[in-house]
Amino acid sequence: MKPPLYPIEIHDLTVSYQRKPVLYGVDIEIEEGSLVGVIGPNGAGKSTLIKAIMNMVRPNGGFVKIFGKSPKAGTKHIGYVPQRESVDWDFPVTVMDVVLMGRYGHLGWLGRLSKADRRMAHECLEKVDMLPYANRQIGNLSGGQQQRVFLARALAQESSIYLMDEPFSGVDAVTEKAIVSILKSMQQDGKTLVIVHHDLATAKEYFDHLLLLNMRKIAYGPIQQVFTEELLQTTYGGRLTVFSEMASQAAKQPEIEKQKSLPL
Amino acid sequence: MPLIPPFQMDQVFIEPWSTSGLLTWNLQIILMSILICWTCGLVGSFIVVRRMALMGDAISHGILPGLAFAFIISGSLGLGGMFIGACLAGLACNFCIEWLHSHTKIREDAAMGLVFTSFFALGVTLISSHAENIDLDPSCILYGEIGLVPLAEKIKIGGTSLGNRAIWTMAAVFISTAMGIILFYRQLLVSSFDSTLAASIGIPVKGVHIGLMLALALTTVASLEAVGVILVVAMFVFPPVTASFFFRRLPLVLLSTLPLGILYSIGGFHLAHWLDCSIAGAIAVVATILFIPACLLGPNGGVRQRLRQKM
Amino acid sequence: MLFPRLWPTLILLLFLLCLWLPSLDARQVEMLKDQNFWDQATRFFLLQDISVQIVVLGSTLIGISCGLIGSYVVTRKLSLFGDTLSHAVLPGIAVGFLWAGSKDNLALLIGATGAGFLGVSSLTFLQKYTRVRQDSALGIVLSGFYAVGICLLTRIQKMEFGNQAGLDSFLFGQASALSVEDLWGIGGALLVISLFILVAYKKLLITGFDLSFSRSIGIPADGLQYALWLLLAFCVITSLQIVGVILASALLIIPAVTASLLVKRMNAYLLVSAFLGACAGLGGSFLSFLGKGLPTGPLIVLVSSGIFISVLCLRPRTGIATQWFFSRKNSLRIQRENTLKAIYQVLEKNNFENQTIPTQALMTKRGIDRIECEFEIQQLVQAELATKGSPDHSPALPGQSILSLTPRGWEYACKIVRNHRLWELYLTNEANYAPDHVHEDAEKIEHVLGEDTIRQLERILSNPKKDPHGKLIPSLTDMELGGVPKT
Repeated sequence: MKPPLYPIEIHDLTVSYQRKPVLYGVDIEIEEGSLVGVIGPNGAGKSTLIKAIMNMVRPNGGFVKIFGKSPKAGTKHIGYVPQRESVDWDFPVTVMDVVLMGRYGHLGWLGRLSKADRRMAHECLEKVDMLPYANRQIGNLSGGQQQRVFLARALAQESSIYLMDEPFSGVDAVTEKAIVSILKSMQQDGKTLVIVHHDLATAKEYFDHLLLLNMRKIAYGPIQQVFTEELLQTTYGGRLTVFSEMASQAAKQPEIEKQKSLPL
Repeated sequence: MPLIPPFQMDQVFIEPWSTSGLLTWNLQIILMSILICWTCGLVGSFIVVRRMALMGDAISHGILPGLAFAFIISGSLGLGGMFIGACLAGLACNFCIEWLHSHTKIREDAAMGLVFTSFFALGVTLISSHAENIDLDPSCILYGEIGLVPLAEKIKIGGTSLGNRAIWTMAAVFISTAMGIILFYRQLLVSSFDSTLAASIGIPVKGVHIGLMLALALTTVASLEAVGVILVVAMFVFPPVTASFFFRRLPLVLLSTLPLGILYSIGGFHLAHWLDCSIAGAIAVVATILFIPACLLGPNGGVRQRLRQKM
Repeated sequence: MLFPRLWPTLILLLFLLCLWLPSLDARQVEMLKDQNFWDQATRFFLLQDISVQIVVLGSTLIGISCGLIGSYVVTRKLSLFGDTLSHAVLPGIAVGFLWAGSKDNLALLIGATGAGFLGVSSLTFLQKYTRVRQDSALGIVLSGFYAVGICLLTRIQKMEFGNQAGLDSFLFGQASALSVEDLWGIGGALLVISLFILVAYKKLLITGFDLSFSRSIGIPADGLQYALWLLLAFCVITSLQIVGVILASALLIIPAVTASLLVKRMNAYLLVSAFLGACAGLGGSFLSFLGKGLPTGPLIVLVSSGIFISVLCLRPRTGIATQWFFSRKNSLRIQRENTLKAIYQVLEKNNFENQTIPTQALMTKRGIDRIECEFEIQQLVQAELATKGSPDHSPALPGQSILSLTPRGWEYACKIVRNHRLWELYLTNEANYAPDHVHEDAEKIEHVLGEDTIRQLERILSNPKKDPHGKLIPSLTDMELGGVPKT
C-alpha cells in the first residue's frame, strides 16, 4: 500500500536572490490537518518559503511537492492569501468581484459562473462579516476589511491547503480574533493551513505546529516540542556565522549545483 | 495670417459635410479614427490596469526596426509583413527589457528607456539609410497623416469594390481585439489583478502577457500610418484613465471606450478642420481636453470628491 | 569628494573652450567629395572643417551634459520622467517660435522651459490629488503635451513664415544645422550644470540617498529637486537640436546606465557617465559625417547602446563573456576535485593497500562512461595531479590502464576529503542537520571551504579525527606524506 501523500513536502530547498541564499537546505513534511505557524526573524526567508511553495520563485536546489505533484500542477489545491502590500488596491474591481475570482478555478476555460457560485461567494463574505461591503471598490476599505476580503476569496476556492503571508499585520484586534476563529474552524474541516506569523507571543495559542526558520529549518514539529527557549534563541539569536558564510559562497557559484552527487 | 483662424460655425461644422464628395471623404476619416480609438482604448484599458502604460509607450516605439526590416526584406508596404516584423520587434523589445531587469541590477524604468530608445534609433537609421526603398516619411511615423486615409487602395472581391483597404484592415483588427477580450475576459482579468491566483488556477500568465503585447504591436502597426507612434500612446492611455473617474468596475471602463472614441474622433476632426493642423494631434488634444473635467469633477476619485472627503 | 582639484580644472577648461568659440568662423566650408574611409576619418578627426568642428564640439558637449545630469536621473529613478519631459517641451518650442517670429534660440529656450515647468506641475498635481498611477500620469502628460505641440507645429507649417526646416529638425535632430550661437547655448548649459553639481554635490548625495533624513537636517530637498528638474530641462532643450525630441532621453539614460555597470561611487559614476556620453556624441557625429546625411541623433544613440552592450559582455567580473569564461574554469575545477576525491575513496576502500587503482574502478565509483572518464583522467594528468600507466608495464589496453596520484595530487585529494568530512561533522554537531542530508550538502561546500574557515571549523569541533560515518578525517600529517601511507 502506498504511503499517504503529504499535502506539502519540501526537500533540501535552496533559494537564492542575486547569489545570496535566502533559504538553504530546508526539509519539511507537513501533515494533513495541521495549523502551522512559520516563525523567524526578518529576512529569514519565511515569505520566500511560501512563494516557493506557490511556484512564484524558482528554487536553486531541492524541490517542493504538493500532494506528490510539482508546484506548477499542485498549486490548484492551495488557497493563497497574499501580503497586503503586494495587492493592487486601485484595480477597478469590487469586493464581490474579488471573491468570485476564487470560484474561477472550478470553471472551465469558457465556463460561466452559476447561481451556486454566487451563493457560495455570498456565504464566504458572510463568514468574514463583509457582506454589506460587497459592492465597494476594494481600495475603499480599511486594513482589516481588506484582509477579510482575501480570506473570503480563499474560502471560496474550497482548497485543501491554505497559505497565508502575515495575515495579521496592520489588522485590528477584533478582526484578528475573528480571523483566528475562522482558521481554527477551517482546521476542524480537515484543511491544512500554513501561516507566516510575526508575533511570538500569540504564536503559542494560535497554532498546533511550529516551523522555526532562519535561512535553514531550525526546527519543525508540534508546538510543545518546538516552542522552547533554546530553539527560539537559536532562531532569533543571530545566525551560525560559518554556516551562513559557506552558504553564501556556495550560492555565488551556480556550477556547484550542477555536478552529480557522489554516492557515500 | 493669425495663429488661430476666426471661428465660424458654418465653416467648421457644416462645410465638411456639404457636398457628397466631401461627405464620403471626411466620413472615411472619421470612421478610421473611431476604429483606431476603439481598438486602442480596449487594449489600452488592460495596459493601464496592469500598470504598463510606459511599457506600451516603449513597445510602440520599439516596433520601428521591425517595420524597417520588413520593408527592406519584402520591398513593399504589405500589412502582413509589417505585422510580423512589428510583432517580432515588439517581442524582442519586451524580452530585452525583462532580461536586463532580471539579470542585472538595472532598474525597470531605466531598462525600458534604454531598450526602446535604442530600438527606435535603429529603426530611424534603417529607414533613413534606405530612403529609396522605403516609402515612409519619418514625420509620418511621428504623427501620421490620417487625412490621406481615403486615398488608400480599395479592396476588390470578385470584381466589386468593397471600399477602403485601410479602413477594412482596421475594422478587422478592432473586431478581432474585441472578440479576444470577450472570449478571454476572465483570463485577462485574473492575470492582471493577481498573477499568483491566475497561475494556480491554470491560466497561462506568460501567454496572456505575450498575447497582450502582440495585440499592442498589431494595433500600433494598423494605426501607424494614420496617427503615428506617439499619438497612439495617447489613444491607449486617455480613454481608460478618463473612464476610471466615473466607473468602479472594469467592464464599464471597457465599454465607455466606445462613446469616448466617437467624441474624440468627431471633436478632433472638427478641431483640426478649424485650426488646419494635424488631425491625429487634434484628436489627442480633444482627449486631453475631455480628461481635465473628468479628473477634476469625476465622481470616482476626482479631485473635487477627494477634497470634499478630506473636510 | 574624489579628485577635489579635478572639477574646478574641468570647469576652467570648459570656460576656455567657450572662449575659443568666437574664433570659429561661421562660414561653412564646402564639403569636398571624399573617396575613402581613411581620408574621411583623417579629415574628421583633424577637425579641418568648420562645420565638423561645430558638430563635434556640440555633440561632445551635449554628451557630457547628458551624462552628468543623466547620472542623477537614473539613480533617482527618473528615467521615464526625463522621457516625458523631452516630449512635453514641444509645445513650448512652438510657442517660443511664434512669439519670436523666427528660430530664436532664447525664445525657444524660454518657451520650452515654460512648457517643461507646466508638465512637471501637471505631474505633481496628478500624483498628489488623484489616484492616477505614476505610469499612467507620465503617459498622459507625455502624449497630451506632445499632441498640443504637434497641433501647433503643423499649424505653424501652414502659416506664412512657418515653413522653416528648423522646426522639423527638432523631432529627430539635425546636427549639421548647428550654428555657433547654438554652441554658446550648449556650452552655457554645461557650465551651469557642472557648477551646480560642484556646489551642491554633498547635498545631492544625501537627498538622493535618504530623502527624509536630509529634510530632517535642514537640507532644502524640494528646492534641490526643482533645481535638478530645471537643469534637466536645460539639458534636454539644448540637446534637442542634435538628438531630437524623441531620443533626447536616450542620452540621459544610456551612458549613465552603462556607467552604473562599471562603478559604484557617485563621483566616479559622474565622470564615467560624462566620458561615455562624450564618446557617444563624438562617435555618433563621426558616423553621421561618414553616412551622408543620416540624422545625427539616432546614430549617437546607437553608438551609446553599442558601448552599453560591449560593457555588458566584457565587464570585469559580471560581464556575460567573462562570466561564461570563469564559469567554464570553475566547472572544470569542481570536476577535477570530484575525480580526485573518488580516487581517494577507492584507495581508502582497500585500506590503502595498493598505490594504484584500475581505471575501471574510477568509472564505477564516479558512475560515468568511458569517454567521460578518459576526459577526467586527461585533465588530472595535464595538471600533474595523477599519472596513468599500464599494469605490469605491458602496453596499455583501453580500459585496463591504472591510475596513481602524484604527491601534489595526493595532497589535493586529502584536502577535499578533509573538507567534506569536516563539514559533515560541523553540520551534524553544530547545525543540527538531519543525518541523511549532511552528505549532499557537504558535496557542495567541500569545493568552497577556504583554509581559514577550515582552521575555524577545527577549532569549533576541537580537532576531530573521525567524521559522522566513522571515517578518518585526513590531517596535515597525512597530506605531507606525499603519498599513500605505507602501513
